[in-house]
Amino acid sequence: MRYITFALSKGRLTELSIKLLEGAGIDCTELKGKSRKLILTDEKNKIRFFLAKPGDVPVYVEYGAADIGIVGKDTLLEEGRDLYEVLDLGFAKCKMCVAGPKELQGKMDSISINRVATKYPEIARRYFRHKRRESVEIIKLNGSIELAPLVGLSEVIVDLVETGRTLKENGLEILDTISDISARMVVNRVSMKMENQRITNIIDSIRKQL
Amino acid sequence: MKRWNIYTPEGVQDILFDSCRQKRILEGKLRDIFRLNGYREIETPTIEFYDTFGGERGLIKQESMYKFCDSKGRLLVLRPDLTVPVARIAATKLKDDILPIKCSYIGNTFSFDEIGGGKQNEFTQAGCELLGANTPEADAEVVIMAIESILATGLENFKIDIGQVGFFKGLMEESGLTEEQMEEVREFIDEKNLVGVEHVMDKHRVRGSLKKIILDLPKLFGSKEIIQSIDYRDIGDTATKALQNIKTVFEILEEQNLDKYVSVDLGMVQSLNYYTGIVFRGYTYGVGFPILSGGRYDGLVSKFGRDCEATGFSLGINMVMMALERQRIAINGEEKGVFISYHENARKLASNYRRELISKGISAELDIMQKGLEEAKKYASQKGFLKFICFNKDGSKEEEML
Repeated sequence: MRYITFALSKGRLTELSIKLLEGAGIDCTELKGKSRKLILTDEKNKIRFFLAKPGDVPVYVEYGAADIGIVGKDTLLEEGRDLYEVLDLGFAKCKMCVAGPKELQGKMDSISINRVATKYPEIARRYFRHKRRESVEIIKLNGSIELAPLVGLSEVIVDLVETGRTLKENGLEILDTISDISARMVVNRVSMKMENQRITNIIDSIRKQL
Repeated sequence: MKRWNIYTPEGVQDILFDSCRQKRILEGKLRDIFRLNGYREIETPTIEFYDTFGGERGLIKQESMYKFCDSKGRLLVLRPDLTVPVARIAATKLKDDILPIKCSYIGNTFSFDEIGGGKQNEFTQAGCELLGANTPEADAEVVIMAIESILATGLENFKIDIGQVGFFKGLMEESGLTEEQMEEVREFIDEKNLVGVEHVMDKHRVRGSLKKIILDLPKLFGSKEIIQSIDYRDIGDTATKALQNIKTVFEILEEQNLDKYVSVDLGMVQSLNYYTGIVFRGYTYGVGFPILSGGRYDGLVSKFGRDCEATGFSLGINMVMMALERQRIAINGEEKGVFISYHENARKLASNYRRELISKGISAELDIMQKGLEEAKKYASQKGFLKFICFNKDGSKEEEML
């Protein structure tokens, strides 16, 4: 039997992903240990795992280097890979939003926006192109996006909002919601067909826990 | 400035000796299969007008094409596809030909980031097109050609996954959704996102029985039994016909004992602007992308001025080679033959002997470097020759297996 390979996102999704897999009867002992091995296995079920940066998970799955991946919807939207998105796992919930100074609240339609700062350039570009039919300059930042409108780098930002506290403390407000975000399970298009039975079983036993 | 002179552009590659030989052998096997089945080969230009592929309701995204201008300022492209040129020919040069027309091609196509080549920008496609026939028999013939082509490459573990876009299109017609909403549903079904489909159905209040079938779509894939089990009524003419069509195709495949190679996926709804009926993709182990894709495209030839139904498929040779390598299936190429070294007094003898071997179909090469016996033998064994022959000063001949 071939191994079914999982690519799991390193970081806040890891622990919850492991819980789901264990609930589906997959042995994650190796994964929870402090081993430095990069690829860990459940020999009984012939399943392999590896942890990867969230942004890399869709890439591994698209190329078939992993059959299944667990990753946030934000990453999926940003990467735009050709995958099956089979389950909404329902954890790590938040929203992808356009935010800006509260003076702009309710005026989104009347003002013209020139510059947008974000960690998610593709999502921002698509939103402004399709939903607002505007060409804007996208400025890619790597963290503390909220800073950009405060120091005059951009008029608005596109970012993940969980509680909205950071926004509020800095005098920013949500101007529009682009998409609901949560962790998703994705499957390579070829694997789904070549290993249909085994992958469908895994999906079903994870779905039951949701 | 010569900064780039030693590199090749992104997405293209040099194919050297052994791989090149293996590629030619593969192409040769496919060419034979195509020809024996009556699909006669054609060759079309590498460059074509942009208008052939792009334009108003263009089939291929403009950003995925390599573009440049001719001397009159008209926009040209490197062909991104080989089916469109066949459609152009069918509507023009072959417009008075009796139908059906069967043709095949093997050639390179060029596009940015297309999955057909496993993200290569230049890749070789081998394919067949069947024009002017719209029976289930024609649909089945093309699927059978696809199966036999993959078998000819040496791959044994593969699946041809078959869908029918007419089924989805029919359901959408009945649903009363706008074009934009349909596209939303299509995307969710295409990614097998059950929750997404449900969300859209609830939002737009699609009627009960129809809604249930649309919600089923992301799950309607798997073994051929699914096809037999489907029994939907009240789904409109288009969808009913589509279902009947795919059922008949599966029956024909079963008669031929080829059903073990196929599976079904009614949620296969990519490229709807191109395909109109049966669609299929070929999958195997070791590559994460399809090695083959095809289907019925009845609207394409009419874009060039002739109404003519059509169906066909193309196989990505580079992907097949990757799959063969990953599955450790050898393509038997011929090996290096005989290396002939000689003393300068025996040059004529050696030359004649080489000619004799060649005429028998044995590969043979002469020692043109003349650096002595040791050097010659070293070269021959490193290059993988099977046999070393030396003609001495007195004309005598010595042989040695390497």
